[in-house]
Amino acid sequence: MADGMTAQGKLLVVDDLHKSFGSLEVIKGVSFDMDFKERLVLMGPSGSGKSTLVRCINWIEPPSAGRVTFDGKLVESGKYDIRRLREDIGMVFQQFNVFPHLTALQNVALGPVVVKKTARKEAEAEAMELLAKVGLSHRADHKPAQMSGGEQQRVAIARALAMHPKLMLFDEPTSSIDVELIHEVLDVMVRLADEGMTMIVVTHEMGFAKEVADRVIFMDQGLIIESGSPCEVFEHPQQERTLSFLSKVLLA
Amino acid sequence: MFKWSIIFENLPFLLAGAWTTLSLTVVSMIFATVAGLLVGLLNMFGGRVVGAVTRFYIEAVRGTPALLLVLLVYYALPIIGVNLPQFPAAAVSLAVCYAAYIAEVFRAAVESIPKGQSEAAFSLGMNRAQALRHVILPQTFRRVLPPLANEFAALIKDTSLVAFISMEDLLFKAKIIGARTYNIMSPLIGAALIYLIMTTPVMQWSRSLEKKVE
Ligand SMILES: Nc1ncnc2c1ncn2[C@@H]1O[C@H](COP(=O)(O)OP(=O)(O)OP(=O)(O)O)[C@@H](O)[C@H]1O
Ligand SMILES: [Mg+2]
Repeated sequence: MADGMTAQGKLLVVDDLHKSFGSLEVIKGVSFDMDFKERLVLMGPSGSGKSTLVRCINWIEPPSAGRVTFDGKLVESGKYDIRRLREDIGMVFQQFNVFPHLTALQNVALGPVVVKKTARKEAEAEAMELLAKVGLSHRADHKPAQMSGGEQQRVAIARALAMHPKLMLFDEPTSSIDVELIHEVLDVMVRLADEGMTMIVVTHEMGFAKEVADRVIFMDQGLIIESGSPCEVFEHPQQERTLSFLSKVLLA
Repeated sequence: MFKWSIIFENLPFLLAGAWTTLSLTVVSMIFATVAGLLVGLLNMFGGRVVGAVTRFYIEAVRGTPALLLVLLVYYALPIIGVNLPQFPAAAVSLAVCYAAYIAEVFRAAVESIPKGQSEAAFSLGMNRAQALRHVILPQTFRRVLPPLANEFAALIKDTSLVAFISMEDLLFKAKIIGARTYNIMSPLIGAALIYLIMTTPVMQWSRSLEKKVE
């Protein structure tokens, strides 16, 4: 799938990716690609390897085998150095992982200042704009401990956006957030999608998937077992395992 | 018999010893902290060989009496041509000793920071040094202060080992007074009180910091 020709015009090509932890193979050969501005939702039962797959894309977990081509460049070839790759890919974690010793503003400005060597003033001005964009202007000088989960996660999104990524990875961004605050975060993500951000979102939020996803990928036991438009996958799943998972999620 | 008058009459002499004790503690502690941070980081991130060497150093120091190190530096180093005056010799041996303990303090603190923090730093494109400098170490700061204060208090007491190389610290001065007045009890109790005056506030501070961190 990922020979040089078909990789043309794709932002991301993942080809036969494998990942093992010791003798445990967690990703067993996954291939897919993404166009610019495409929104992909990744679903699957717990332990199916969704987090691992997403973390392999920006090398937080180095893949054991396979090829990742990002923005036309093969990552392992050395054309894309890993740190540069991570600058170009934003990541939002289930546990937020905001920096507790810094204010919201400093959280957002830190990446540009440290990695891109942006002048602090300039970085903080842009951080202020990003905080406004995620609805947190009034929280700029607050530390994470003083913020709700929904607010912390929006700081984390702004922090990732500050690097001007070409792709955003979201690993269950709303699973650790109080139900009544989830929409705050989803609203921000929907707006981001509307602005044309390319994104991979691991989530079990069906409403979000239906509204935003161009494609839903369904994983089980380290493999993609189904892939298609939200309508195809949700209304007419081809696999028994997809169906049984969906019925559980809908009941929950 | 215990006599307050002996303590009071010799107070300036005792305080001169306390000054030596305190300045030796501070100097040794500064070097021990810097070296301990360095050794701790090298132990964690220096790779296999450096990791093994620093681990050996830490375990060797922790498994031997501090006094041995003091004697070694003062009496054995001259044999191989390194002649250090008393104060530097004492400071070096205490710093080498405490750096090993402090390295473990820093290691424990760094390891107590959730993995998600460095992952978040890496996901922004930071390298390991940047992640350490801007994300991990600032968060360890509050966690290392209480154990560092404890090490400082322990070091105040351990400086008394330098009496073995005839350095006139607080304990040594007390013994001199004892010999001069034929009353060893009074100056020793005087010294004990001065040690307590130095260590108690540090331990209190450490305890209140510990509460704040929790
Ligand atoms: N660092 C690791 N070391 C060892 N095993 C791991 C590691 N990370 C993940 N695993 C294992 O890999 C498998 C897939 O985990 P992963 O977190 O990718 O699943 P997931 O689909 O994201 O699940 P969830 O919905 O629970 O988040 C699990 O069996 C997990 O125990
Ligand atoms: Mg997961």
